[in-house]
Amino acid sequence: MNLPRLELRRASKVYQTNGQKLEALHEVSLALEAGSVTALVGRSGCGKTTLLNLAGAMDFPTSGEVFIGGRATASLNENELTALRRQRIGFVFQFFQLLPALTTLENVELPLLLAATKRAREAARERLEWVGLSEKADSYPYQLSGGQMQRVAIARALVHSPEIVIADEPTGNLDDASGDQVLGLLRDAADRFGATVLVATHSAEAAAMASMRVQMRDGRICAVERA
Amino acid sequence: MLPLPLFRTLILRPLRRDLLRTALTILAVALGVGVVIAIDLAGDAATGSFRSSLETLVGKTDLDIVANGAIEERWMRPLTALPVNARFAPVIETQGVIEGAGSVTVYGVDFITQAVNSHARSVATQDLDTSAIVSSALAKRMNVREGDSFSLALSDQPCKFRVASLVDSNETEFVLLDIATAQQVLNQYGKLDRIDVFVSPGEDFTRVEREIRSILPASYRIEMPGTRSDENQRMLRAFRWNLRVLSYISLVVGAFLIYNTISVSVVRRRPEIGVLRALGASRSCVFWLFMGEALLLGAAGSVAGIALGRVMAASAVSLIADTVNALYVSSRPAAITIGIPEVVTALVTGTVVAFISSLLPARESMEVTPVEAMGRGAHEHHARMHARRDLVWAILIGAIAWPVSKAGPVAGNPIAGYGATLLAIVAMALAAPAMIVGMSALTRNVAQLFFGPEGLLAVRGLAASLARSSIIVAALATAIAMMASVAIMVGSFRETVIVWLDTQLRADLYVRPAGRAGAGEHPALPAEAPALAASIPGVEAVDTFCAMEIEYQGQRASLGAGDAAIVRRYGRLRFLPGEDRDAVLRSLPGQDRVIVSEPFANKHGVQVGSVLELPLGDRTVRVVVAGIYYDYSTERGWVIFDRSTLLKYLPNQAPTNLAVYLRKSADGSQVRHALEQRLAKYRVVVAPNRSLRRNAVTVFDRTFAITYALEGVAIVVAMLGAANSLLALVLDRRREFGMLRYLGAAPSQIRRMILLEAGFLGVAANMLGLALGFALSLVLIYVINKQSFGWTIQFHPPLALLSGASTLVLAATVIAGIFPARAAARLNPIEVIHEE
Ligand SMILES: Nc1ncnc2c1ncn2[C@@H]1O[C@H](COP(=O)(O)OP(=O)(O)OP(=O)(O)O)[C@@H](O)[C@H]1O
Ligand SMILES: [Mg+2]
Repeated sequence: MNLPRLELRRASKVYQTNGQKLEALHEVSLALEAGSVTALVGRSGCGKTTLLNLAGAMDFPTSGEVFIGGRATASLNENELTALRRQRIGFVFQFFQLLPALTTLENVELPLLLAATKRAREAARERLEWVGLSEKADSYPYQLSGGQMQRVAIARALVHSPEIVIADEPTGNLDDASGDQVLGLLRDAADRFGATVLVATHSAEAAAMASMRVQMRDGRICAVERA
Repeated sequence: MLPLPLFRTLILRPLRRDLLRTALTILAVALGVGVVIAIDLAGDAATGSFRSSLETLVGKTDLDIVANGAIEERWMRPLTALPVNARFAPVIETQGVIEGAGSVTVYGVDFITQAVNSHARSVATQDLDTSAIVSSALAKRMNVREGDSFSLALSDQPCKFRVASLVDSNETEFVLLDIATAQQVLNQYGKLDRIDVFVSPGEDFTRVEREIRSILPASYRIEMPGTRSDENQRMLRAFRWNLRVLSYISLVVGAFLIYNTISVSVVRRRPEIGVLRALGASRSCVFWLFMGEALLLGAAGSVAGIALGRVMAASAVSLIADTVNALYVSSRPAAITIGIPEVVTALVTGTVVAFISSLLPARESMEVTPVEAMGRGAHEHHARMHARRDLVWAILIGAIAWPVSKAGPVAGNPIAGYGATLLAIVAMALAAPAMIVGMSALTRNVAQLFFGPEGLLAVRGLAASLARSSIIVAALATAIAMMASVAIMVGSFRETVIVWLDTQLRADLYVRPAGRAGAGEHPALPAEAPALAASIPGVEAVDTFCAMEIEYQGQRASLGAGDAAIVRRYGRLRFLPGEDRDAVLRSLPGQDRVIVSEPFANKHGVQVGSVLELPLGDRTVRVVVAGIYYDYSTERGWVIFDRSTLLKYLPNQAPTNLAVYLRKSADGSQVRHALEQRLAKYRVVVAPNRSLRRNAVTVFDRTFAITYALEGVAIVVAMLGAANSLLALVLDRRREFGMLRYLGAAPSQIRRMILLEAGFLGVAANMLGLALGFALSLVLIYVINKQSFGWTIQFHPPLALLSGASTLVLAATVIAGIFPARAAARLNPIEVIHEE
């Protein structure tokens, strides 16, 4: 296999709050390959979200480096970061974060619209069909169940065929059946589209379907298990 | 019961945290209250002093004897012979010009018998015709002392007078002459302007009045002092009411703002309210929590508004005084005094507006159930569901406004017109949500096509935050509608007046006495002026006009007499539809027939063929109304005689204006020069037609300057509201913006999106506002103006001005969006996405 899609090298993150230093991540190193699903597990406050933000280039390490496609995220300017998110990264959130004013289809289309990509509508329909919600294309978010909303969010995260998909507790707000559906889709994203999926989760099912399980504690990786 | 700790944490702390928004709200309320106070204060000051300055000197008179035209001095003798314990003092009141000091009030009083005035005694009998008593304030300005001489011009040439003594009478400026001297200088032998009556203490007041009445002709009036002043105030009532109503616009716009602030406050704290209710807080406790916030904002705004109002009044007073002087009566602006009543008015206005506008959102807070913690999404969903129902209400209320506007005036006030206006605004506000939903649906593809994804997100975002955005639109639209309607009314009026000036002013040159003449003052020309003018080569005809103020059915009116034949030949006087100008004018000379102006006809319910009973001099004349003509010079109305008819009843009535028509071949400037030379020894002004028209338009524009100022303030309040609401909109949707950044939106796209939202709001507000504005302008022109002033204005919307103003408002709305847009673009996506 060639270069890893996403790599953290001794990445640390220190938060400063009212003069107090808090090290949320401590020299974390991690390399993820194409087509893999990585589950990030650990107690609340151990640094999962912090790590995801670094991995998604939304935030930058205080020391160490994060490479996406071989380039250090800290070296990119605002335009390059925006381009990176538009082309290579898809996000899934715990609280779905669909825009209430837009229809399902428009929500899915949104990343392509923001990036001014051609044939956005077709791509959006395709992804919506993939998550099995074609018939809800013209519904509004408030007309969907939580599980459906999260599936729409996954379609949105994958509409631009990103290389990296980052999901922060995507099943945290769902019942088991819906959660399984969502996890299946994430697995499928890796298998079918070759995406590199990184999921922070508390659920055992999520951890079970992953190709790699990363156990964290107090900002450090304490164990890595491969399936 | 309002638990203070709760109030502190739930209301005060957020207010402090959101200092910018709090300040914007308070400022908007302050502006609204300030304008109301300013118009009241300035109105009082500008119209404050109609009281005769003579009163401050000779004491309060008990009765005044006055007449249309003049009072014959010969009635003094029978009056003084009456078996009553009262004193009668003849008075002449006029304006004179003092070199270097300008126009001043001049009184002619009896220096010999005016016993109250101890100063007059010091004037020796042989010096009566050269002595003057000068008020100390005037003397100070003229820089003269007792014994000095000064030059005073009354009708013809200036005369020299010696300052016999000074009298102290506060700040008022006047000159006293002996009555015989005044009559002589004014060429008014045997004529008086009024007779003051002083009733001795212990004498029966009504008996005195009865005795006087029994000997005087019926056409003479016996008035209580202050009647004139009351009359003036009454005459100004419609004018001041209209101003006052205009000043309420800002307050209405401010009310939308408070409504918005409180509903933002309620929506944001729904979860807290849910928890509070679960912990046992009563519904009314929650209600008063938010009412408390509103009242606090209202009170703070009121206090600031008092200070602001005082400042604004200072700049408004001269504008209002100009209008009053130009259109109604001469008055001296008094000092602006702010007293307890104004402070109370301000506080009450501010808090009542705050109270009413926060009732709905505060009620909404009561409906939050203990278990529920409804998010914004659900709240907005409700708003969307209500949009259709509100539209139905809007149509209903709009439909009611129509017949309401048709109702007649109540006690001379166009109450129904104001009511219809208010209903129309409510209807518009209720239609705003449907308008936004509709516009968002219609423009969805267009917006995306032109403005990309930001366009789509902007129109959709507005529809999504409907509760919020429709308030901004309603507030802005109200301000725009008011601006548009007043602009259309004033523009139409202006155009109407310009057309009317063209029909009215047909002569080439006009001659009038020099010096300032306010509304209701008609100084006389020398009697020989018409003949002198007619003798100049190149002059074809001279129309001799004489005007005077009269009283008709207890109301002030103007009476004039001109040469009907000349008007028929040269004039273009426009009569009401169906009247033949030529026939009407031909029927006037020598007959007891008159024409009246439209305001006069409307005010007194007069029609063609009606008979008027006019007290003239010492008789009462019955005349038939031959025609009604359009006129915009004064709302008190004109009654116009042919000169021959008037002279029959009031011989020796001096001319007040000349209209000089030239031969076609004549050189205008040459004739004017000759005319000026011929009349050089009199104090007259010869004005060419063009300058008279220009002056009239200038006076008109100055008159309406205040309305533009008031609209400007309303627009500023609306802008503050827009900035405030956009800021709230951004703060409440920050998670959305954070999420968009995660999805690959650049900060510049977020900024663009907010600016587009502001722009769309501006467009929606403009569309609603202009539509409403056109409707309101019809109410203003055909209901309110007609009922208040009695004249018909032709509809002439000033399109250039309107499009300019609405572009300006649109630009201002976008500018109001700049700060919120920057705030939104700068949000840290990580922080906002994870807060919940
Ligand atoms: N912006 C911030 N400023 C200061 N401290 C922060 C910030 N964000 C996170 N932290 C701290 O960093 C640590 C790691 O937080 P993080 O959100 O990564 O935990 P997490 O593993 O995602 O927890 P959870 O499972 O509850 O979501 C925590 O102690 C948290 O308090
Ligand atoms: Mg987390």
